[in-house]
Amino acid sequence: MMNRSILLVGAFLAVPFFSNAQAEAPKAAAKAEKIAWHGTWKGGLTEAQRTGKPIMLVSAVPQCHSVPGVW
Amino acid sequence: MDRSFLANKDVVAASRKFVCIRLATYEDAAENEVLKGIFTMRSELQNTVFGILTPDGKTHIVRSGRSPAWAFGGQAGRGIHEQPLESMKKMGQTMEAIALAYPGKGKAAKGPLPLPYLADLRLALNVTAADRQPLVAVFAPDAAQRKAMERELSVVAWSEQFIGQAQYVSASDAKEFKAVKGVTVKTGFIVIQPGIFGLEGSVIQEISANAKAGELKKQLANALGQHKPNTLSYYEHRAAGVRAGKRWESKTPSTDNSSPRERIGRQRR
Repeated sequence: MMNRSILLVGAFLAVPFFSNAQAEAPKAAAKAEKIAWHGTWKGGLTEAQRTGKPIMLVSAVPQCHSVPGVW
Repeated sequence: MDRSFLANKDVVAASRKFVCIRLATYEDAAENEVLKGIFTMRSELQNTVFGILTPDGKTHIVRSGRSPAWAFGGQAGRGIHEQPLESMKKMGQTMEAIALAYPGKGKAAKGPLPLPYLADLRLALNVTAADRQPLVAVFAPDAAQRKAMERELSVVAWSEQFIGQAQYVSASDAKEFKAVKGVTVKTGFIVIQPGIFGLEGSVIQEISANAKAGELKKQLANALGQHKPNTLSYYEHRAAGVRAGKRWESKTPSTDNSSPRERIGRQRR
């Protein structure tokens, strides 16, 4: 019985820990490193010429089957 | 977990040594022509284009194509979010090697660091919805004031804390915000939560147009923390959009004969 109580107490103590861990997860995801994009050719090319850095260019239609909000 | 090329940590790290440009295909006639100079199939612009170019934008350094998979191997189409690790690694390593060959001018680069703007608010809402990121509008009718605001925000936008964490658009007229709920200011930095389908948005926070970089940093950290990204999967998003009748009309006609709409059209003809 004692062992069972200890296990239960342990489980309850663990709940807030795991809850916090889950609550922190979205924050961590939001801070994920991401590429910083220039959104126009003119702006990006001007910056590449200014800095002498090479260009990585990607283009895509901002819709799928005409549904917007997805690449 | 997103295992697409552009979410890979080595590729993101290498991207800091590049100027990264992402365009929206079929949204600007002049940009369509630039894209056609980089990659076409049967002389026609495709829905997606990928290339790595010299700083003058004139020479291809790797094989251009519809996606990084054309240069580095990997999945096209349905599997684009499940790339093999070796292909992503190859892309990161290749970019690092290119960055060694084109190290840039460093501190010798003249002029201010520009804010990486999207073309307009309509497109910016859609792009930030697709990227699941907040949008920051620099809003002032007066061009000189916008310029001063851009200078302050640019310092913050390119700082280690904020780089790649939001996207930016310039606005000079209140009418541009007709699809954004909750705009109350006549000038200011307006942090926007894009709607799921990027056809509208709502204000997260308005920040004074007079805020200097230090204050902007604090306010922006708070505002970006309130952004709620769309959690639907790619297929759930598409199905929900079809059900809700959400549609996007490109500004110029699609010329990609391999796109589903074109295939359906061909079958019907």
